[in-house]
Amino acid sequence: MSVASFQHIAEIEKSPGYWAGVMRRFRRDPVAMIALFVVLALILMAVFAPLVAPADPYRASMLRRLRPIGTEGFPLGTDELGRDMLSRLIHGGRLSLLMGVTPVFIAFFIGSAIGITAGYVGGKVNSVLMRTVDVFFAFPSVLLAIALSGALGAGIFNGLLSLTVVFIPPIARIAESVTTAVRRIEYVEAARASGASSFTIVRVHVLGNVIGPVFVYATGLISVSLILASGLSFLGLGVKPPEPEWGLMLNTLRNAIYVQPWVAALPGLMIFITSISFNLLSDGLRSAMDIKS
Amino acid sequence: MLKYIAERILYTLPVAFGVSIVCFMLVHIAPGDPLTSILPPDASAQLQEEMRRIYGFDRPLPVQYGLWVLKVVQGDFGTSIATGRPVAMELGRALGNTLMLAVLATMIGFLFGGLFGFVAGYFRDSWVDRIASLISIVGVSVPHYWLGMVLVIIFSVQLNWLPATGAGPGGSADWVWDWAHVRHLILPAITMSVIPMGIVARTVRALVADILSQEFITGLRAKGLLDVGVFRHVVKNTAPTALAVMGLQLGYLLGGSILIETVFSWPGTGFLLGQAIFQRDLPLLQGAILTLAMIFVALNLLVDIVQSLLDPRVQRS
Amino acid sequence: MTIESAALLQVNDLTKHFPLSGGFFGRSAGVVRAVDSISFEVAPGETLGIVGESGCGKSTTARLLVNLIEPDSGQVILEGKRVGADMSVRDMRRHMQMVFQDSYASLNPRLTMEDSIAFGPNVNGMARQKALALAHDLLFRVGLEPRRFAGRYPHELSGGQRQRVNIARALAFSPKIVILDEAVSALDKSVEAQVLNLLADLKKELALTYIFISHDLNVVRHMSDRVMVMYLGQVAEIGPVDSLYSSPAHPYTRALLAAMPSMDPDKRTMEAPLAGDPPNPINPPPGCRFHTRCKFAQDVCAKEQPVLHILPHAGHMAACHAHIPHSGHSGLEARA
Repeated sequence: MSVASFQHIAEIEKSPGYWAGVMRRFRRDPVAMIALFVVLALILMAVFAPLVAPADPYRASMLRRLRPIGTEGFPLGTDELGRDMLSRLIHGGRLSLLMGVTPVFIAFFIGSAIGITAGYVGGKVNSVLMRTVDVFFAFPSVLLAIALSGALGAGIFNGLLSLTVVFIPPIARIAESVTTAVRRIEYVEAARASGASSFTIVRVHVLGNVIGPVFVYATGLISVSLILASGLSFLGLGVKPPEPEWGLMLNTLRNAIYVQPWVAALPGLMIFITSISFNLLSDGLRSAMDIKS
Repeated sequence: MLKYIAERILYTLPVAFGVSIVCFMLVHIAPGDPLTSILPPDASAQLQEEMRRIYGFDRPLPVQYGLWVLKVVQGDFGTSIATGRPVAMELGRALGNTLMLAVLATMIGFLFGGLFGFVAGYFRDSWVDRIASLISIVGVSVPHYWLGMVLVIIFSVQLNWLPATGAGPGGSADWVWDWAHVRHLILPAITMSVIPMGIVARTVRALVADILSQEFITGLRAKGLLDVGVFRHVVKNTAPTALAVMGLQLGYLLGGSILIETVFSWPGTGFLLGQAIFQRDLPLLQGAILTLAMIFVALNLLVDIVQSLLDPRVQRS
Repeated sequence: MTIESAALLQVNDLTKHFPLSGGFFGRSAGVVRAVDSISFEVAPGETLGIVGESGCGKSTTARLLVNLIEPDSGQVILEGKRVGADMSVRDMRRHMQMVFQDSYASLNPRLTMEDSIAFGPNVNGMARQKALALAHDLLFRVGLEPRRFAGRYPHELSGGQRQRVNIARALAFSPKIVILDEAVSALDKSVEAQVLNLLADLKKELALTYIFISHDLNVVRHMSDRVMVMYLGQVAEIGPVDSLYSSPAHPYTRALLAAMPSMDPDKRTMEAPLAGDPPNPINPPPGCRFHTRCKFAQDVCAKEQPVLHILPHAGHMAACHAHIPHSGHSGLEARA
């Protein structure tokens, strides 16, 4: 075939891509859309907390301790130091969401890198990487998070670090498993037979087909991370007072359950709502990505 | 068969080895000198040197690790800095309490989760399925320590039916199987059972729906097998995976009980762990984490083996 | 250094054994002797058919040729140059390309047809616009209108259409040899016929050489100039298509051909052509690998491996003691 005989036909019928189809299916799922709405609302509330919250979350007053829900001026009551619960809950979303989402986010990148490398290269590299990952995976996640946090000491940074380490192994394992499967499919063989470098093959053929499932899995981990992060603060690791954070608030309000039980339960309710919304969102995303059903 | 078991054990050994290293290193990644938790800050330099030698902190790390492993294998986990008693003794007692709680929670979770899941899978896509799915999502999404608090609010504070904390009247840690003690077990067990319940429900539902949609079921029905017969087939095929999930959940609960035990002040290993962290009681911390992690590893291995016994296909993979 | 030969492709003693994992810590529990020292040639412009049952090593051989699997030993010599020594693997891949059986799995579900075809040339240095133009040209050549098909995704095409795209992709390199590994086996019969016709046309237009792998003896007969029969990783028989089909020499070939369903009511199969199960490539029988299922097996067959021996017909060879004079075998007419 001579070069001169080619002609590029500019006008071709283009199909909508894969992600367009995913978005379309997602939009049709009412539960998923509601979950998305709630999550976005929570995020916005957290970002704009100083503007949204009616009062200063740090202003304490011993006279106004543990007022019930519906008190004049304090719609959700006050906590054990007299601070406005509504404002503290709104501000609490900042740290709680941060501690919940960030570790999964970072772990997604690191875990995917490890898993894809191990899956594509295979052989000894795979064994070494995955065995190391398996050692950390051998701990129950709660135990590992607490052990690391406990050893490093309390604090936001240590908490973030511990949680990131906890979530790297599961993500790495899934990334490795999907990559190994994809690597054996014929279109990757054909790509190898075309003389492309490994890096190009991973970039063009492997990455696009692996990231999707791994991403969906990671979004499913966010709710776990939220609960764990708040759990750390609940135990006195993680966030330190007087910072507002839902788990920490549950801790300091524990003894208040005998006085104002429902005020004391509010922070946990926020965790629950956030967690279930992320879960429904993740489920909706998974359904939308599943071409078969 | 035996070859498979031997293989699995040999595979687990390096992992267990790695786990022990991580447990050992935990103490050493802690900021500050391990000695600071043992000695008062104004201790003389000479005293510090002596303690360093006694505890072996002056030896190179691999040597310290080796000595530690040797002692652990003989059952000597060191002495708790806070209580002065042998760590092994403290752990032993606490472990019994946690085991009680975790086993009960797993059984409850498996029972209800299995029920919900089975019904959901059997009546797939019906309103029953949707409710069961909802329950299972709730189970997976709810922060269990909060749930514990809510249950305490309802049943202890408001209704005063059940106690809020502890494992026995007067906070005693000596267990007796009488109502006075068992009533302390109810709330923590129910709270804990929610975690496996959600996961078991999901798993069983997926399994049952999958099996029922397979063609061999249509074949069975065509042969005239009544629904009871199909039911038995479904159970037989779901059992191995469901049991595996249950085993894993039990291990997870044993290892991750700290949050619920803290809420209920239940004197188990989790509670002990919390104390150890709070008081920087390093020998106890190390001992507790090592024990719990190893139990989890061993349980995983056991589940693997039992699953391969029940489902011959697993062996070939 | 070039090796003198009229053949376009020469394969010498190509071998691949796969270690079996198992045992403790992956210590070898045995080897699968997938391809065991096979040798053959392909002349320019011909179609060599490769047939055999599942597990005989046909697909492994194909992958060894394009170096998707590294051979344990042996040489692949293309146009007189040894691949790996005189010619790089990368260069070899510009001359020899492959079309796989599963048309759907052969295409990246995330790429459009034009992107899939343009990937190869683009990666080898061709500018993207030119590569796309080449892709459109090739789509046209394989009978798919570029305007309609260039922007589509694999799941939107039928099996036959996808396979045409796969052929176009292989042709994007202007290869000399195209290996078709069960390329039409998964297609409906009517579609298969269309694709086979396309292949025949392309071969003439572009002066291609084919290696056509299949388990379907009829299709192989239709497409090939010469045919190679493989059994358990070795070459049983090789020869011109007419000669091999009318006078098969190796008992295995005879059995395969006898097992072909025929439209002729007078040709009835009276007895099972093959006895026993295909043995394990992990522990092949000693001596001739076929002897455990062979009607004509004699003592020598269990002891010595027969080598390919030239038969009276030109270019026709078989590895069977019955056809090797002075082998100790009394020949096919005498029964054991």
